[in-house]
Amino acid sequence: MARKEPLEYHDFNTHRNFNEIEKAARDIEVLLKSDYRLSKRSIALLLLQEDEEITALVRRKEKDFDTIDKIIQKTRKACPEPLQYLITLERQSKVDRILREVISAREKRESSFEQWLDDITIKPLTGVPLLFLVLYFGLYKFVGQFGAGTVVDFIEGNIFEAYVNPWINHIVVSLIPYKPIQQLLALDYGIITLGIRYAVAIILPIVGTFFLVFSIIEDSGYLPRLALLVDRVFKKIGLNGRAVIPMTLGFGCDTMATLVSRTLETRRERIIATLLLALAIPCSAQLGVILALLSGRPYAMGVWVGFILLVFLFIGYLTAKILPGERPSFYMEVPPLRMPKISNVLEKTFSRMQWYFLEIVPMFILASVLIWFGKMTGLFDMIVHALAPVMNAMGLPEKAAEAFLFGFFRRDYGAAGLYDLQKSGALNGVQMVVASATLTLFVPCIAQFSIMVKERGVKTALAIVGFIVPFAFISGVALNWVLNTLGVTL
Amino acid sequence: MDCCRNKRSIFSYFKNGISKSQCDEREKQSKKRKLVLVGTPNVGKSVIFNYLTGSYVTVSNYPGTTVEVSRGTSKIGNELYEVIDTPGMYSLIPITEEERVTRTLLLEEEPDIVVHVVDAKNLERMLPLTLQLIEAGLPVMLVVNMMDEAERIGRTIDIEKLSRILGIPVAATAAAINRGMTEFKRKVAEYGEKRAA
Repeated sequence: MARKEPLEYHDFNTHRNFNEIEKAARDIEVLLKSDYRLSKRSIALLLLQEDEEITALVRRKEKDFDTIDKIIQKTRKACPEPLQYLITLERQSKVDRILREVISAREKRESSFEQWLDDITIKPLTGVPLLFLVLYFGLYKFVGQFGAGTVVDFIEGNIFEAYVNPWINHIVVSLIPYKPIQQLLALDYGIITLGIRYAVAIILPIVGTFFLVFSIIEDSGYLPRLALLVDRVFKKIGLNGRAVIPMTLGFGCDTMATLVSRTLETRRERIIATLLLALAIPCSAQLGVILALLSGRPYAMGVWVGFILLVFLFIGYLTAKILPGERPSFYMEVPPLRMPKISNVLEKTFSRMQWYFLEIVPMFILASVLIWFGKMTGLFDMIVHALAPVMNAMGLPEKAAEAFLFGFFRRDYGAAGLYDLQKSGALNGVQMVVASATLTLFVPCIAQFSIMVKERGVKTALAIVGFIVPFAFISGVALNWVLNTLGVTL
Repeated sequence: MDCCRNKRSIFSYFKNGISKSQCDEREKQSKKRKLVLVGTPNVGKSVIFNYLTGSYVTVSNYPGTTVEVSRGTSKIGNELYEVIDTPGMYSLIPITEEERVTRTLLLEEEPDIVVHVVDAKNLERMLPLTLQLIEAGLPVMLVVNMMDEAERIGRTIDIEKLSRILGIPVAATAAAINRGMTEFKRKVAEYGEKRAA
């Protein structure tokens, strides 16, 4: 490549060692005989900077690598500081020179408002309360109450219950005489009346509102600041600040969050994140129902939050200790805070909703079929019965087992089961906390599990679930025991 | 690299996955020129990619959104280009897996044009990579993006002069608000012709 080399560094050596490096680079250039696609000068400089890949490549390609290596070693000895550092320094000074000629800076600093906003998001003293405000208004108020409440009530109650379901039931019953098939398609647990209804009436509004909030937060540039804020806590549990993204996403939907954990740098981090998501992060739907369940009893809610937080930190800490591998270092650009562009936010929200919807519908149909099958064969009742001793150990009535079974299909479905139990007055405060906490920890839903398999592999996914199920029940038993021993009434 | 696994920025894979037939077609059309977008995370590579190819990869104000390589096609001037969006890279010496991916791609794809996208506000941190790319003998052109934000902090950049000093084409853009994009495309076409000649 006969390009004029406008950027040799030697013509303005700001560092006394630079002549040496320049000479070494030239000597190496002469010795490089093969073709590397990159220029020889570039290869020579990369060699001097101890780039492993390039060194291996050159070692393979050049007969006379020993001579090259000698030059590298000699230069390295002659320089008091690492060559990479010196070369970077030299390059930077070249850049500064160029820029002095092209940038005319009457630079104002950021406006004081932006500066102030920037500061309060990162400093723990203001950042943590701000985070709670974002969570409260963004997640709890908008997603939890508006999305999971108002919108779901409207679509579910006004559209499905009032029009779609009766209509479908009528058609199915009048067209198909065979009862089991009627039940498969419609009625209480049918594919259309349960599966599709769940997907459209419950999941879509919840993830839709969640994705909207998330897109706004994402485009504003708040997330990297949040990552900085929690980096220290996350490091203790073997993750770095970047893991904030999947974890926050988890409060919307753990399935989605598990997918996003692929942005983490190491396999180790991805496994820890997947485990924590499956174990200790309730999804928005489940969160909504549990909040509704415990809202009348603030102390019970406090115990629940504290307990889940404790489990999150404890298990995170433990896995970080056990799993081998290097701890990730955290390196992230912090972009400026920006006003999100509405068109970008909407486009992102819709493309995510579309993706999610296509992903989730088959799952719901499958769940409907399985519940139908379980009911038809009596398998369901058998399992509920078999779980009775476990329920007893947690101080819960046998009927609570049904909620846990449902919980495997959908996290919030399980919580809804508890809701029914509570309304019928079958649970006291302690029982409710124990049941909610156990259900939160208890298995990921089918969709999440299938994504775990897809992203982390069958073995890892099974290992995680194999750990979670007993752990959830043991935690439930332990929590029940502690609360009872202390004589707490909630 | 499996060409059908493209468009894998975090969320948008399903929507834009190129169908198998398009893949085959692409392999047949070896005549298409190659344009690779490189740069530090969060400088707007994906916005430019979307602009050129008319497809959609997720764009965020969050570094590292593009975790895998995306490919698309664009007609620039009279030529068809295969446009490749890469995960961010800070330097020619890779530290993370993502950076390694990008460097390997630069080495193996033999691009016709390497478009280095930089943030006008942070030229001083980003230009070293430009120097490295030029030094490596790659067919580099520079896009100084986010000009609007730079202007807001009172910074003006003499693009002509920068182009003269570096000896490569330089375009000034604000991709998010669609400023300077036509001019950028024109410069790409011009550079492509010059290189082909």
